Amino acid sequence: MPQRYDAVIIGGGHNGLISAAYLARAGLRTLVLERRHVLGGAAVTEEIVPGFRFSVASYVVSLLRPEIIRDLELPKHGLDILPLDGTFTPLREGEGPKGGDYLWRVNDHGRTIRELRRWSKSDAEAYEEYGQLMVEMARFIKPILGIVPGDPTENDPRPMLPLASLARRFGQLPERQQAVFVQLMTMSAKDFLDQWFETDPLKATMSASGIIGTYQGIRSPGTAYVLLHHYMGEIDGAFRAWGIPKGGTGGVSYAIARAAQAQGAQIRTEAPVARIKVSGDRATGVVLASGEEIEAGVVLSSADAKVTFLDLLEAGTLDPTFEQEVRRFKFRGSSGKVNLAVDRLPDFSCLPGFGEHLRGAISFSPTTREMEQAYDDAKYGHFSSRPYIDMIIPTLVDPQMAPPGKHVISCFVQYAPYKLAPELGTWDDQREAFGDAVINRIAEFAPNIRDIIVGRQVLTPLDIERTIGLTEGNIFQGELSLEQLFFNRPVPGYARFRTPIRNLYLSGSSTHPGGGLMGANGRLAALEVLKARGGRRAA
Amino acid sequence: MSGATAAPGVPANAVAGGSAYDAIVVGAGHNGLTAAAYLARAGLRVAVVEARGVVGGAAVTEELGGVRVPALAHTVGRLKPSVVRELELAKHGLSLVAPEVRVFAPQPDGRAVTLFAELNRTWDALRAYSADEATSYVEFDSRVRSLAGFLADLADEAPPDVRAPGFGDALLGLRLGRAFRGLGKDDGRTILRVLAMAVADFTGEWFSAEPIRAVTAWRGVRYTAMGPWSAGSTAVLLADAAGNDGGGSGETVYARGGPSAVAEAIAAAARAAGAEIRLNARVTEVTTRDGAVTGVALASGEELRAPAVVSGVDPKRLLTTLVDPVVVGPSMRWRAGNIRTPGSVAKVNLVLDGLPSFPAAGDDPRLLRGRILVGASSIDDMERSFDPSKYGLLPSSPVLEATIPSLVDPSLVAGAKDGTHVMSVIAQWMPARLPADAWAERREQVGDLVVRTLETVAPKLGKRVRARQVLTPSDLEAEYGLTGGHPLHAEPALDSFFLWRPLLGWARYRMPVDGLYLAGSGAHPGGGVTGLPGRNAAREVLADAKRRRR
Repeated sequence: MPQRYDAVIIGGGHNGLISAAYLARAGLRTLVLERRHVLGGAAVTEEIVPGFRFSVASYVVSLLRPEIIRDLELPKHGLDILPLDGTFTPLREGEGPKGGDYLWRVNDHGRTIRELRRWSKSDAEAYEEYGQLMVEMARFIKPILGIVPGDPTENDPRPMLPLASLARRFGQLPERQQAVFVQLMTMSAKDFLDQWFETDPLKATMSASGIIGTYQGIRSPGTAYVLLHHYMGEIDGAFRAWGIPKGGTGGVSYAIARAAQAQGAQIRTEAPVARIKVSGDRATGVVLASGEEIEAGVVLSSADAKVTFLDLLEAGTLDPTFEQEVRRFKFRGSSGKVNLAVDRLPDFSCLPGFGEHLRGAISFSPTTREMEQAYDDAKYGHFSSRPYIDMIIPTLVDPQMAPPGKHVISCFVQYAPYKLAPELGTWDDQREAFGDAVINRIAEFAPNIRDIIVGRQVLTPLDIERTIGLTEGNIFQGELSLEQLFFNRPVPGYARFRTPIRNLYLSGSSTHPGGGLMGANGRLAALEVLKARGGRRAA
Repeated sequence: MSGATAAPGVPANAVAGGSAYDAIVVGAGHNGLTAAAYLARAGLRVAVVEARGVVGGAAVTEELGGVRVPALAHTVGRLKPSVVRELELAKHGLSLVAPEVRVFAPQPDGRAVTLFAELNRTWDALRAYSADEATSYVEFDSRVRSLAGFLADLADEAPPDVRAPGFGDALLGLRLGRAFRGLGKDDGRTILRVLAMAVADFTGEWFSAEPIRAVTAWRGVRYTAMGPWSAGSTAVLLADAAGNDGGGSGETVYARGGPSAVAEAIAAAARAAGAEIRLNARVTEVTTRDGAVTGVALASGEELRAPAVVSGVDPKRLLTTLVDPVVVGPSMRWRAGNIRTPGSVAKVNLVLDGLPSFPAAGDDPRLLRGRILVGASSIDDMERSFDPSKYGLLPSSPVLEATIPSLVDPSLVAGAKDGTHVMSVIAQWMPARLPADAWAERREQVGDLVVRTLETVAPKLGKRVRARQVLTPSDLEAEYGLTGGHPLHAEPALDSFFLWRPLLGWARYRMPVDGLYLAGSGAHPGGGVTGLPGRNAAREVLADAKRRRR
């Protein structure tokens, strides 16, 4: 006799676990099935080099929705976020006002303004105005994270009402804010920032947040929107700024898992799902790779749209038009991760020593030109020869991640296109060359890097696809380009977490509002499931 | 409306206690003239003042080496048929010629992608690549037509008022909603998905043969500072097909006598309706009192008075140089100053002593009557051609759109030696960011580069060149008054579209000074020889005039 659950959730990433917690909390018999031996999906902590523990993929949080933290009482279940202070942009010899300078912004507003004034008086002034404006913009747009996108081609206008209310609120904004909001939705990060600032390393560093995880350059239209995300995290007051979870990002996942378990959800690891069972037009359960069958009232997949629709459903289950739309959904992983175990700290030529500047994010973004050129490499299938790197040294705030006195360094690297140019062969051929390019880039600014490495892990987009199961290594389960957002995510007409198969829901980052350690997708999907059940009960 | 009382040529300020004109149009480009013609036909007393000695703005025919060449724009296929009809342009001398070939794109392998006006012929021609591609093209053409139909509906009207109460509901419910629902579910979903897309992705959904993909993508990037991988270039492509027979290939239509013929016909229509057109009259200021326009001041020192000033000049130049900054206000000035005008095309005009031979055309010169695309062989090659412009550098192999208008309109070379032809070349991704003095140095370098690039598909073309004119982005700015050298007045990217072209809150042709209107390409629906910004603006000017009279 197969086991039976009210809800089975495919994937124990943060979104899957959040769905599980919400469903279990509503009284559903809920089971989470995770393919790997660890929970967390892309938010996972592992010991790659003996004694050194890494946030293997996702490495910082700020976006995790406060209502989720509250609803699921995550702090009670062990969530502990350590704040990261500031962004340090090292420069090379001869660069900047002093030559061999740096740009260092911290959470202390006054200090940051003084630092900026060193570069440009007008930029320091613009920075204050800009910051205020962005907070107001984020405050305006934030409700969209809680909206289930309607289908604008439906005759029934009701699902579009939340959007109409957003449009009404838009009408109430001062005209200049309206205009800036439109610019944020349509411009490139570089063009947008050009309106305020002249300091190139500042623009390069700020624009970096517009391209993370996308196959776009800082001059690509549509990248300005992502700048807002930084501010969304800040205004919620949960963490105020970017932080790293104690114990790595796996710490977040396990806190959610414990919350789900406390509500009665069951979680199984090393339980890969081979196929979603469909009978007629509805999902009835899943079959595991072991052959075991599990029946379920609803199936939620937190795997991405391609895995869910093309790998886990039997061919021919879906309408060909829908299947074509799924194939159109773009993944295009564009980033890699290099994790380093080191026995000493990196020493930057522009600011020698091991001070506070190492405790925040270290951004390798000296010029806008190099940022864009890094993208030019990627467009034609090469990893960037001088990549943009976002470096974090978690052991400076969470020393237990490494043996005493030693450190782990997390390097998020852009760009590393999933599809390599034919002359480069495969990522298996290029993995170490890519790792070397990253080390060379770091060495431009911190020459001692080569001497301090005791172990390194290079994750190419192919590795991210293989180990974490993200198609083409896209960390957001699908490119966050304008045409793949909101009511188009993942497929026009199916943005409301539902699928053409009844009782099958999507709950991962392939859905609105996209990727990042945010959790809104998992929560909204669970609420849609509950709404549908409620409707049925009433009927 | 009272009849015109001031005799033509009498300075307005000579008329005591009132305005000599009801409206003054700044700039005699085709849009300014269109606005003037509509206003004059409605009974307004209209003066058009133009800085140059000819009408036409960026759509002009000029003399080069004893013959006549299209100085900037070379085709006029987007001219709105309703404008032609309503202004009776045929009666005023406009004659249009549309060859059967729309696009001829010779490829490095000696083949060519050829798109005809007739779909069957295109299908036949594309089967040389593959039957699948030919069939895809037919579907592509039909999809472009239906999606562009929606944009044509938008283009005909002033964008809705974002400040009106209930704007949100209006947007979702009323006129726009009707046009949107007219698309049907499939096209409706598609347009919302594709408008913000890169044209490389859009064409990639139909074609796998790179040359066809590149040729069909071209119209998404032409005249822009975007590459085929830039988001939003699909909207540019679809707008190019809006309200005309463009479809998948784009229109190829010439005006007999060159592009000036369009402006001259509109000017004739305007004059016939009573408008006065003054050439060599440069406006130095739009004059105001108490925040409302009172007229214009000319470089000659003369002032013309009118309660309405309609600008064919681009919005950035208008608001940052022609109006008192105090009246514009700091916030609006900041916004206007940030209108993006990254000009990125140069124009090269050639007089040839014989028709060059294009081996890919075989011996059929009829294939050369359309737009000849050079360098559109793959999306990546086009993108590589675009890349250097981001850093202010010239491309090593530019993408070119050339025409040989004398093949369809021999009047251009009338009187010249037999066999003489003119060739007009738009050279893409020549960055305006180069300083003017650097451009002076590189002008001939650009000319050489263009001729060299043409020779990759038409060997020995260089030997036939008898005269050559190179217009760099800095020339477009200095000579034609286009800010940043941008032929479309403002980059047609997603951040300058519909409700926010040129600026959010000011898309309804009224500028932030009472009585000041925008009628040029910087306004919705944007650049190209369409006449629509001019016509739409005139409609708003007339509505306001009517309201004032009440």
